[in-house]
Amino acid sequence: MSEAVTEPAEENAESMSTSKAGAAVASAAAAKTDDRLAHRGPFQRLLGQPEIGAVIGAVTVWAFFWAVTQKFGTVAGAQPVLDVAATLGIMSIAVAMLMIGGEFDLSSGAMTGTTGLLVIYLTLEVGELGGAGISYWWAVPLSLAFALALGWWNGFLVERTQLPSFIITLATFFALQGMKLGFAKLLVDNIQVGPLVQAKLDADGLPITEQVEACNPITGETEMVTQEVLRSDYSFFQGIFASEWSRNCHTLASRDFWYSSSILIGLSLMVLAAFVLNFRRRSGGSGGPGLVVFLGGLAAAVFGYWQLHNTDGIGANATWGGLLALGIAVGLYGFATWRFERNNDPGPLRFTSDVIKPGVLGVVAIVLGVVAARLLNSNVGTRLITLDNDSIQTVVAILTVVPAALLIAGALLRRASKGKTPVARLLLGSSLGIVVLAILAMLVTEQGLRATLFVGLISLGLIALSVAAFRAGFTSATARSAVLLLIAGLVTWLAYMVQVESTSVKFRAELFTVMLVGALVVAVWAVISRQFSIRQEFDAGSEQLGRSFGLIGVLLLFIGVVVRLLYVNENELAREIAPAKFSVRILWFIGFAALCTWILARTSFGSWTFAVGGNQAAARQVGVPAARTKTQLFMLVAGAAWLVGMLLAFRLNSLQASTGDGLEFEYIIAAVVGGNLLTGGYGSALGAAIGALIMAMARQGIPFALWNTDWRFLFLGVILLLAAIGNRFIKDRADNLRSE
Amino acid sequence: MESEQGRTLLEINGISKYYGSIIALKDISTKVYAGTVTCVLGDNGAGKSTFIKILAGVHQHDDGAVLVEGEPVSFGSPREALDVGIATVYQDLAMVPLMSVWRNFWLGSEPTKFGLGPLKVIDTAKAKQIAVEELGKMGIAIRDPEQPVGTLSGGERQSVAIARAAYFGAKVLILDEPTSALGVKQSGVVLRYIVEARKRGLGVIFITHNPNHAWPVGDRFMILNRGRSLGDYAKEEITLSELTQLMAGGAELEQLQHELASAMDD
Repeated sequence: MSEAVTEPAEENAESMSTSKAGAAVASAAAAKTDDRLAHRGPFQRLLGQPEIGAVIGAVTVWAFFWAVTQKFGTVAGAQPVLDVAATLGIMSIAVAMLMIGGEFDLSSGAMTGTTGLLVIYLTLEVGELGGAGISYWWAVPLSLAFALALGWWNGFLVERTQLPSFIITLATFFALQGMKLGFAKLLVDNIQVGPLVQAKLDADGLPITEQVEACNPITGETEMVTQEVLRSDYSFFQGIFASEWSRNCHTLASRDFWYSSSILIGLSLMVLAAFVLNFRRRSGGSGGPGLVVFLGGLAAAVFGYWQLHNTDGIGANATWGGLLALGIAVGLYGFATWRFERNNDPGPLRFTSDVIKPGVLGVVAIVLGVVAARLLNSNVGTRLITLDNDSIQTVVAILTVVPAALLIAGALLRRASKGKTPVARLLLGSSLGIVVLAILAMLVTEQGLRATLFVGLISLGLIALSVAAFRAGFTSATARSAVLLLIAGLVTWLAYMVQVESTSVKFRAELFTVMLVGALVVAVWAVISRQFSIRQEFDAGSEQLGRSFGLIGVLLLFIGVVVRLLYVNENELAREIAPAKFSVRILWFIGFAALCTWILARTSFGSWTFAVGGNQAAARQVGVPAARTKTQLFMLVAGAAWLVGMLLAFRLNSLQASTGDGLEFEYIIAAVVGGNLLTGGYGSALGAAIGALIMAMARQGIPFALWNTDWRFLFLGVILLLAAIGNRFIKDRADNLRSE
Repeated sequence: MESEQGRTLLEINGISKYYGSIIALKDISTKVYAGTVTCVLGDNGAGKSTFIKILAGVHQHDDGAVLVEGEPVSFGSPREALDVGIATVYQDLAMVPLMSVWRNFWLGSEPTKFGLGPLKVIDTAKAKQIAVEELGKMGIAIRDPEQPVGTLSGGERQSVAIARAAYFGAKVLILDEPTSALGVKQSGVVLRYIVEARKRGLGVIFITHNPNHAWPVGDRFMILNRGRSLGDYAKEEITLSELTQLMAGGAELEQLQHELASAMDD
């Protein structure tokens, strides 16, 4: 070592003395992030959210089944989906919390059955039935205590032995499975356990009956029925865990008003939220004229909506709908003028080649999609390739399609995943190939091919154009606006195209409206994002306001959908609409999702959960009680399993001894689909809830589409793979964008 | 040795640590004063990690005494060390990469408004505000406190940890090899934060095996070799080259230089 190295500035020797690996890590880190911290706009931040992939997936799956089935998009079709999603969702949320904390619980499925069975055993009559004969007031809390003890035991063993939770909880799973079967045989000598004791008995041991007025869930009319008088403890818990809301028994004349206005206001607020989060607050001037324009637009929108609601007929609808749209657009522009700083230098209208390429690709894809839709006949339901034997045909279809699909997918993905390993490429390629294969194998009719080509090419085109718009934003605001206006124009064109071409009312009316609204929003955004400057710095006030707007907007959308689902209006009742019964378990699901989301976002426990899963040693180091946090997470899963056990027991009254066994992987799949990282430290409860919704939609949509339900598992596999890859892709993109 | 620049925060009197028959540390003594940087230097296996783990509460010493402001202590857990004001920043363990900057900053000591048991509600507005301010004082401009720490550079991550320790009232800040995985520029960033922490009156213990990093920021230097102290020097008592020599084991290094020179001649 020389004596020359005496100044702090002279640190060349330093990099020599650090290890090679260390230097490599450091230079990689430096290259990736530099010293500057880039600002993230609202869209980038949205893309960085763990549940965004699940939201997109849910919308896609919903739209798919909405388009291909008759029943799926109706209220009667929504009911079984929500019913399945509720129990699956409660568990997948709890499992997701545990996964974020870095652990698994394979006993979670078996535990749901265990707690339900326990309540049945505890309440069954003493004697031949083999029960303990105690009241529900004791049995229900006792089963909760048992579940929590089981969760604590799992956590305690994992912490004490430091073995993987996979092994510990697998042992618990087998123990529970064995005990459930063993006790069922021992106590009631049957694998079907139940039914729950419900009725009040008279002196002779016979159920007491009474005459009551009840609403007929199908016609919505009140009639007299004879039913058993329930024990007070049973009816209390039955009410909490299994009461139902019969839609046809609840009429609300102004339902459509509440429904459409809350959706409209909700959507507008979400656009405003995006505005507030994206643009810079104006520093000087009153913005008074802007406020006037804003209020004027608002008034016009309200008037238009009022007229739209009170008039009928296509001409009037178009007029007042137009006024409504115009009012909203003008109002938004006024709001922007009122609140935001004007952008004095929007830049020139110039496109670089990395904008032109996806732009041209997008336009070409959309035109091709339209051409395909016009050339192919939508009424031909026979298969494209017809052979004598059905199974031979399938084989031929597979043999021709597989290599082609793999080849296309491989070529596409080679471009997409530059610098990735060949294995990843192969995996990605083959998975995409399987998807294409699955779709084509099912839809090789001309009709199906037309729909696939149209939807596929249009989606591809819109995605390519969005990429073009995003890239154009790096050059100038004007260029971005031009691309966005192009998108809005194309979507409007497509909307009219769908309206003219389609034979289905729901496409002509509903899809048409949605596409026009989408085009309007994009067009308004195109104009405003050029006129006003985008915020680059942290602004606590704007963040707060934007978040509040966004949250209220989502809530209003939610309320709108709930009103639509829960009430009928007189017209529908007169048309003898299919009945739908919503179970209180959906409320439990929503409540649990909200609670867990709040815990993760707002409490110390939430922070600790992320920390013990993300880097346990670091968490311990700063004083996080890691062992306690994990044990509490295991207990949370057990508590959720208890809740689901109660929901099942009071709904079904008797349970199979194998209830819940094997479902633990579905919970984990739903959590992964929802954007939760298998290795812990990242994810969201809301994502898991949406993941459960996607799986429930798949499970219910397939029978609605009149396919063989065996396809469900193919669907599950494909969804899981796509979700895992998609989430990774989105997250990588979002992270990279951040540091660019 | 008596170059006092502040009051004595931490006094270590002849501590030893044994792992079975292995002597990890033997008879180490030093003092840490407020507003000074004490560098602990040593090659791999010199006992640096054992030394800091004792101070951080991960291990307990077998002989000798650790005095915090005159009071003898022995820590059962990292939390206890934190509670008396000794904060440790580990090179790899400083942060949870997927968590946001503000959550990392407050982790384990979240500012809560109300709540029961583990469900205490974090005052997020205040937490973000303070995190942004405190990091600003360290010279890191954070625009979005929701940004995951993983998107910060290595030097900045260390600095967030240093800012956190300083904010939570640490009197003694132990930095375990903060620069060893960093490039030239990033190391400079961290060294600047060490000086910043010293200015604020913290007693800093800076563990490193790189005398070129220790020299510009250090006020005192303790050299460890095979679990034993080779001396505890104030800056004016020693030169960088002496320090480097001592650290590498003096004679051994000369021997090595001769061997290398003759090998090059061949």
